Amino acid sequence: MVAETLLSKIINSVERHMKKVFISLLMVMFTHLVYSQSTFNVKGVIEDTLGNPLIYSTVLLLDTDSTMVDFTRSELDGSFRFKGVSSGEYLVKTTFVGFIPLHSKVNSRGGKDVDLGILKMSELAAELMEIVIKAAKAQIKMRGDTIEYDVSTFKVPDGSTVEDLIRKLPGMEVDQDGAMRSDGKDVTEVTVDGKSFFGNNPKAATQNLPSESISKVQVFDRKTEEEEITGSTAQSQEKTMNLELKEDFKTGGFGRVVAGVGTEDRKEIKGNFNRFNEKIQFSLVGVGNNTGRNGLSWDDYQDFLGSQSFNFDSNLEYGFGGGGNKFFFFSGGSNSLESSIQSVFFQGRQNSGFPENYNGGANFNYDHNKLKISSVYYYNQAGLVSTTETDRDRFFPNFVQNEEGSNQKDDISRGHRGEFTIESELDSLHSIKFEFNAAAIDQEKIYNGENDLFRNSIYQSRGVVNNVNLQSGYLGNSALIFRKKFKKKGRRIGMNISYLFTHLNDDRDQKSLTTFFDENGVEESRLDLNQFNANVGDKKVFKANAIFVEPLSKKFFFQTFANHSQRRETGEREVLDRKENSDIVNEFLTRTSINNIDMNRVGASMRYSHNGVNITTGLAYQQFELSGSYSSINESLFSGEIDRGFNNVIPHLAVNYTPGRNMYLSMGYTRTANEPQIQDLQPVIDNANPLFITEGNPDLTPQVGNDINAYMSRSFPASGIRISLNGRFTLFDNYIGRSESIDDQGITSYKPINIEDGNQGNIWFSVNLPIIQNKFTTRWNLSTNVSDLPAQVNGVMNNTKVVTLNPRLTISYTPTKDFLLSLNGFYRNSNTSYDINSSQDQTVINKGFELEFNTKLVGGIYLASRLNYNKFTNDRFGQDLSVPILNASIYRQFLKGNKGELRLAIYDAFDENVSLQQGTYGNGISQSLTNALGRYVMLSFTYNIKGLQSGVNKRRGFH
Amino acid sequence: MLNKCIYIIIIILLSMDINAQDVEGTIVYNRKTDWISIMSRLPFMTQEEIDRNRLTWGKRSGRGRNYNLYLKGNKSVYTYGENESESGWSWKSEEYVLVRDHKSKKATDAREFLGKKYVIKDEMPKYKWKILNEIKEIEGYLCMKAETKDPIKGQTIHAWFTDGINFFGGPEGFSGLPGMILEIVVNESDVVISATSIDFEQADVKLPIPKKMKGKEIDFAVFDNKVKDFIDQSIEGERNPFWRIRY
Repeated sequence: MVAETLLSKIINSVERHMKKVFISLLMVMFTHLVYSQSTFNVKGVIEDTLGNPLIYSTVLLLDTDSTMVDFTRSELDGSFRFKGVSSGEYLVKTTFVGFIPLHSKVNSRGGKDVDLGILKMSELAAELMEIVIKAAKAQIKMRGDTIEYDVSTFKVPDGSTVEDLIRKLPGMEVDQDGAMRSDGKDVTEVTVDGKSFFGNNPKAATQNLPSESISKVQVFDRKTEEEEITGSTAQSQEKTMNLELKEDFKTGGFGRVVAGVGTEDRKEIKGNFNRFNEKIQFSLVGVGNNTGRNGLSWDDYQDFLGSQSFNFDSNLEYGFGGGGNKFFFFSGGSNSLESSIQSVFFQGRQNSGFPENYNGGANFNYDHNKLKISSVYYYNQAGLVSTTETDRDRFFPNFVQNEEGSNQKDDISRGHRGEFTIESELDSLHSIKFEFNAAAIDQEKIYNGENDLFRNSIYQSRGVVNNVNLQSGYLGNSALIFRKKFKKKGRRIGMNISYLFTHLNDDRDQKSLTTFFDENGVEESRLDLNQFNANVGDKKVFKANAIFVEPLSKKFFFQTFANHSQRRETGEREVLDRKENSDIVNEFLTRTSINNIDMNRVGASMRYSHNGVNITTGLAYQQFELSGSYSSINESLFSGEIDRGFNNVIPHLAVNYTPGRNMYLSMGYTRTANEPQIQDLQPVIDNANPLFITEGNPDLTPQVGNDINAYMSRSFPASGIRISLNGRFTLFDNYIGRSESIDDQGITSYKPINIEDGNQGNIWFSVNLPIIQNKFTTRWNLSTNVSDLPAQVNGVMNNTKVVTLNPRLTISYTPTKDFLLSLNGFYRNSNTSYDINSSQDQTVINKGFELEFNTKLVGGIYLASRLNYNKFTNDRFGQDLSVPILNASIYRQFLKGNKGELRLAIYDAFDENVSLQQGTYGNGISQSLTNALGRYVMLSFTYNIKGLQSGVNKRRGFH
Repeated sequence: MLNKCIYIIIIILLSMDINAQDVEGTIVYNRKTDWISIMSRLPFMTQEEIDRNRLTWGKRSGRGRNYNLYLKGNKSVYTYGENESESGWSWKSEEYVLVRDHKSKKATDAREFLGKKYVIKDEMPKYKWKILNEIKEIEGYLCMKAETKDPIKGQTIHAWFTDGINFFGGPEGFSGLPGMILEIVVNESDVVISATSIDFEQADVKLPIPKKMKGKEIDFAVFDNKVKDFIDQSIEGERNPFWRIRY
């Protein structure tokens, strides 16, 4: 019974399984049936026109939209076959070198196999074949009977006509009179963009259109109207040529104007215009305002200088460098004679005083066919009227000198600058470049000030100063640079020579009245100074530099360089003491000087460079020759000559390591030697300012320091985290400091001296830490500065140690494109201690934050606001000052494409109208408070031909 | 039985014919990138920013980078070629070795993505090629043009292939056309990878297959997802993703 049940169970189970197996079998058969029903085979035979089989030709089975489904090759008898093709419409494309590709339509109904039979391929005409082979890289399209040439690949000289171009096209013949033949057939019609507006003369177009305007040339059989209508393909004996005009897509440009008027008589206007194409860049810029925002941004800078914005190879003094790291930096940023346009461009931003600025210029760049020309002119005028209150303490071994002053300045400076560069690539190995810069400046500075001096809080003297300074000068600078590469890869030479001359007139009207008091505050004596001081300085600098790089192997590179420079300076200084009736020459201060500084340096370095590791070691020998003479107009009073030579050996070590794209490590050591200023070597006393007397030191030797630096950065792109650490430390073997002494009357004397000590360094650390990528980000930053620089004070050596700690945290919240909230908090603690007077050790604290809030309001109106809050604390001055500056604006964009914008802004909403500065230096500390514009409201209108963006979330950097 | 044997042999011979990839040699490709053009395609760039970039940087072009495609038997290896550095400065390159076995249709790639190394072991990717009507000559070979799309990076890719080289491969892992791809053009001009020398005279080509590929083993789907996520995230944050990843 049990066995029976078991058996039936087994049978049941088998039956059930059998059923399943049977059903599956059926399904397989069915699908196979369906499958076999919906597929078919395609076959055919490929032959040439003479009936010979084309063996091994490529046969493509394409969808009706040309998507490749399958491919095969023809057999020895020219036959081919595609099996199991799903039913539908197809194209069979057969190709064979030297034959015109053939398309055959395939359409299977009901899974019927298709036999295409014999497919006859016709040979590509010899001329056409030649086109294909000769045209090398030229892209040639063939569509049926149409041949299309991409003319960008055929080079013709500038100014050529289309006819000149056509002569270059393979397969085209052009007669002397301009008649054209293609593929042996006459071209009887020329159309432009498909339109035949040149009538019956095909030459009208080809002989008159410039070749540069054409992007494509198409040649096809000319069809009669009848053929066009009937679609008949009778072989035509005439050809039509179509010229396709180039889309001028490389042309671009900008144009913007911003104009604003405000309360307190504030005005600003800014405009720029720019057009560029493949070859030419032209731009204009102009700015005028009395708001202290010169309004020029990096965008404006790039729009103005175009391809000349960032010249990485502008350093002509070759040295150990020449590595992969190329940094661009602006030198200086002042209005001085030798400032470049790049550094003057951003001038004119003041947040203190009452400014009035005008800038403007034009730039032209040409870059085509290995020739580059650029020329730029820039004018800038900066004016500033300001009132400043200063408070300064200087520490001496047993007393403190306190100086309280106030001054008014009225400065204006104007500068014209022009630069011209021409660079030519002579061939693939040689290039030559010539640069010429010219500049002219003139400046007027009026200074009126009062100073009260206290010694340990006892009133000592009072000075009233009225100075007028007029400066004018010009500059010319030219350089010739030659670069040569060799056939041997990596071997190269660079050479350049340059010549600079400057001429500067500096006239000073100096009036001062100093009254000295005794301990009881009774007037003791007076010093009345009324001088006219005229300086004329000329400088000529010749430089020659050369570098040679030789790859010793794939990993080792040898580099050697030489630098030579000659500096010739002549100076004439005439000082007149102004008396009531006449001017008398001051023989003691009037003098002439000639200073010559010659420098020669040779060096060599070896670099190991492989797999992200770059190690450079090098050694240079540097020689300075300082010579010159100085003399009073009365030579018996004083005169002398200087002839000093200095030799230094400069070792260099740099290690760079990039283990991957997300990490960078570098460290380096170099020794620096800087020659003393030649004026500092003249043993002449200068008492032009009777309270600060300077004297030269003929025994000075160069300042020599050991420089160590290290840098590390690591990024995690997936999470957006980025860490970087940067440190630099300089240890002086020999530091040019100063000896300072002060007498009982408070008169200070300075003299430069060598000190065998001193060091300074800084460490900078930052972490970018996104909490939510793209929405909520934080940036942590810590920088510290340490300096321990000695100086001699009243015969005693003083070490001033300054330790500055500056942590900073920035939090940015940008939940949408139209909302930005960012907070940047900082704390700066500067701790200064003095060897000679430790009772004066002090801590200066500056803390604050910057809050930025931008958002979209209603009705297309946006809000932009920024609050700067600064708090200054210093026990010494009993200082505890907070300065909150709030700027805010609302704006709305309008006009088609957001080309217009109307903005209403308020600046310094709390009307703080001051700017505060604090600092410690040497054996002193100072603080100054300068007046500023204060609160004003401004309404401005912007028009931008390219349209505007709301700029709520400003993107920074390159994309 | 004999008939069957002959039939099988013919079948094998025929299929060998199709797969016949007994080509041995090296093709050097030069890969040039047009950064301005790439930037211009980013959805967050305004016309003004595009113009500014072109104005400032448009006149600078690099010399590109060389890659080698080694062919032997049914296998090909695509990786960095010789690149002489003019300044004698070395930057570490990302891991990039693409090994293809065209017989078993298997791909083994050593790649790096955002600083992490991966080994992709998968079927060779299949591309849907459209055959176009243009022809041109590259290094002595007459090439036909084909088109495919990369949906991950949003690229239109044009391949110039020749049936004159009987190996159905190409640079950057592209394959599936009836011949060798001698040029790849991504998005008109963004990246152009073009054969600059073709050498089939070499006696014995050694395929530079790394003995051991370091990195996490994944397949193309996972890798593509990582790429897509990074591109989406970067574009949302208005950053150019292609500074960090291969275009």
